[in-house]
Parts: sequence; C-alpha cells; structure tokens
Amino acid sequence: MISIAVSSQKGGVGKTTVSINLAHAFARAGVRTLLVDADPQGSVGLSLTRQSRLLAGFYDYLADPGLPLDRLIVPTRLETFSLVASGQASDYEAGGAGMGAHLARVRAFLRSVSARGFDLCLIDTAAGLFGVTGDVIASSDAIMIPQQAEPLGIRSVPKLLEGLNRLRVMNPRLSVLGVCLTMVQHDLAESTEAAAALRQLLPPDMVFQTQIPRDGLFIRASARGLPVGVLEDGAGAQVVFDSLRAEIESKLEPADHRHGYPG
Amino acid sequence: MDPINPWLDPVEVRRMAERLLKPVADPVRSVVDAGFDEGFVGFDAGAPPVRAQATQVIPARIVPPHPEPPPLPPREPVAAEDVPHPAPVAVETAPVPVVEAPEEKSSTTARGPFLDRIHRFRDWMRHHFAATGIFILDREGAVIFDESSHGRLHFLARSLAMASRRPGATAGNVHVKIGAGATLEVIPVETPYGCLVLGAVVPESLQPAAVAAVMEALGQVAAPQA
Repeated sequence: MISIAVSSQKGGVGKTTVSINLAHAFARAGVRTLLVDADPQGSVGLSLTRQSRLLAGFYDYLADPGLPLDRLIVPTRLETFSLVASGQASDYEAGGAGMGAHLARVRAFLRSVSARGFDLCLIDTAAGLFGVTGDVIASSDAIMIPQQAEPLGIRSVPKLLEGLNRLRVMNPRLSVLGVCLTMVQHDLAESTEAAAALRQLLPPDMVFQTQIPRDGLFIRASARGLPVGVLEDGAGAQVVFDSLRAEIESKLEPADHRHGYPG
Repeated sequence: MDPINPWLDPVEVRRMAERLLKPVADPVRSVVDAGFDEGFVGFDAGAPPVRAQATQVIPARIVPPHPEPPPLPPREPVAAEDVPHPAPVAVETAPVPVVEAPEEKSSTTARGPFLDRIHRFRDWMRHHFAATGIFILDREGAVIFDESSHGRLHFLARSLAMASRRPGATAGNVHVKIGAGATLEVIPVETPYGCLVLGAVVPESLQPAAVAAVMEALGQVAAPQA
C-alpha cells in the first residue's frame, strides 16, 4: 500500500478538492482507495456525506486505541472508493498537541489500512506542517502539495520547503511528489504569472505538469456532495484528475517494487 | 514590479527543493544504535513501517511497587534549589551533545549533589536492569542527563510519553522494541518540578513492579526526602 499526504503550508489552496477528485480518479482506475479526512474542519466529510458530523473518524481513532478501523470506513457507490471522516474528536484535537504526540497512532492507523487491503490511502490534512499533520507526513510514503497560483501562495514556498526538509529528517523515505498548481485562472495575468514563476523557481520534477483550473464545476460538485467527474458535464474536469493520477503513478513507479503498489 | 522574486531567495529555494528530490541515505548508525533494526520507529529508513513487524508499542499499566523491588539508591538530603533547570535544548532528530548537568548551574556545589544522585541512579539502573543509554528529559523535552548521545531516542521517548498520556490519568510507561535484545523503556515520572521522562535501553521490557521502583527512585533523585 502507498500512503500519500495531501498537505500545504497555506490554507484554502484546494487540498480537499484535489484529494476528493484525485481519490475518485484512482478508484475509477481500479485502485482500492481510502480517502481519509485528517482535517479537523472535516471538509471531505462535509463535501461528500451528509452524516459526516455523526460519523466516528480519524481523530477518534487517534484518541481511542480500542476503536477498530472497520467502524470508521464509509463505503461509497464506487466499490473501490471508501472514506474515513475526520470524526467527533476533531474539535477537541484542533487545539493541537505537539508534533510527535500522535505518531504511533497514525502509524498504527496506516498499518490497519494496509492490512484491510487498500492499495492507496490518500490523506487530506489540515494546513500547516505541524501537529497531527506533521505526524501524518512523518508516517506517509509520499506527499503532494497543492499550491494556489497566486503571488502570496508562491511567497510561502520557502517556508514550505524548509518544513518538508525538516520532516524528512524524521521520515527519510518520504517521497516528495511535487507541487500541484491549483485555481489557475488563465484569464488573470497575476495567476498565470505566479504559475510561471513557480515553475521557474522549482526544479521541473518538483512541479506537476497537470494544473487544476479554477472552475465553477468544483463548487457545483461540492454542493451536490459529489466528485466533479460524476457531474453530467464533469468529463473535462475528470480528464484533469486522470492526468494528475497518471503523473503520480509515474512518480511512484520506482517505489512500486518496494511497496507492492499495483499501479 | 516582480510579485515573487523580491520576496524570496531563488537560489536558496532551489537548493532546498533539490534536496527534497534526492533520496535520503540511511541514517548513520552510531555505536549506540548498533543492533537497532528497521522496526525502530524513530527513523524508519529502509523498510516501510506499514510492513514492519518488529515494532511493538505496548502501553503497560503501572501497578503499585512490588513488595521486593530492587533496593533504591541511597537517599541524600539536598536543597530544593539543586533540582535542575536545564537550559533549553531543542528536541531535534539530530544528535544532541551529551548534557550531563544543567548549563544554568555554575556552582559546582549546587550541581554536585544532583549529579551524584543521577550517577548513583544510573549505576543502580545498570546493575539491576542492565540498562544502557540512559537519558532524562524535562517537561519541555530539554535534556537533563544523557549518556545515549542520540537525539532520535530523545524524540522517540518524548513522542511515546506524550502519546501515552490520557486526560485525567497518571502518565504510564511505554516501551518499544528497537532491536534484537534492545527495548527502549520510556517512563514518565511526576515530580514537584514537573514531569520528567526517563529513557533507557534495556534487554527486555520492565515488569510493572520494576517500573514502579524506577519511578520511585527517579522521584527521589529529583526531589530527595530529607
């Protein structure tokens, strides 16, 4: 199994949108995918399940060693796609214990997910690289970083890289898949310039070729509690996430032999 | 005006990014690490932890001291002020230099008794439990005493101690197998000066009675009774 943390230094960059639609893209391709909402705001749950406020979830697992993973898994209509909501304990945890406090439980969680037969565990984390998010990154195989295509976001990149280098000391096998530009607006010069600046700033391998456009489709999909690809006119957006999935698979290829990921 | 470059150092950003793309070599194992296997969750280079079988984090319940625990190290009356207030030491995964006494203490008279007690405690731990790599952290994670010379063990111990804490309950000991015949025993001890975290590498995890004896002994080291 491969675990991928979807994390960013800044909030509001589209982590949840990327997580939901990327997980859906993998699941459609036959990869047994578990999407985990590790954001105390519970955005994945709020986007996809009306009962999310009632479900036990990831933070409950961290708080209660007696809670089995099976009680957290929410199936979807797609057989290969399941969810874990953030849970009821998340409000309590949002105040945040220090980094490392939940390392053992996060790793136990990932071991359980692997034992349950999932091929991929995609974890939508809270913004920032500390607290539980830090523990998730320090326990995952890989990380991808959504980054909004706007100047302020790009300016935060040094802090992001600094934080990731620090976390890699804790987790040397962490593979940095790269930065994925989101909310790209081709009709706005500042947005395209920021995207170009990021590509110039970072090594080519560090920035995904696929970029996610700003599109009203995502808001409509979220309003209906669906991945964007499920919408009647969502085929175009689905192609974007299929492309992102293919890029990730190519980046993971060298690791496939190590982890047994079916690809 | 360029909206990006005046705000950052492109050369430094590039350097950090390129470092992230390079595989990280296995951590250099110091002599203290010898024998630690890939199940060691502190720095799990190599095999993915999802497959690791050797790691066992087993919270143990603390029970009252055994009627016949090992005899405690001798007590010694000491003034309260020689309880350590160590200089802040960042808890990083990089090796931390050995800190044998709080840096703030300049008076050898003030340090001496505490160090004596620590050394007696260490000898007692070695004698009765074959403990090595003993270290003590304060409630902030700063190093009070260390003969392990390994910051990763400190980080692991502190993480385990924090993870084992339950609201409203006394902190319990935790142990994690870090290699063949080597277990890191982590024992949080409440003292009048806050919670101290003792870490020690022992051949096998300690029995509850032994844990209770160690807690009592460390409590006396921190705040000896007259």
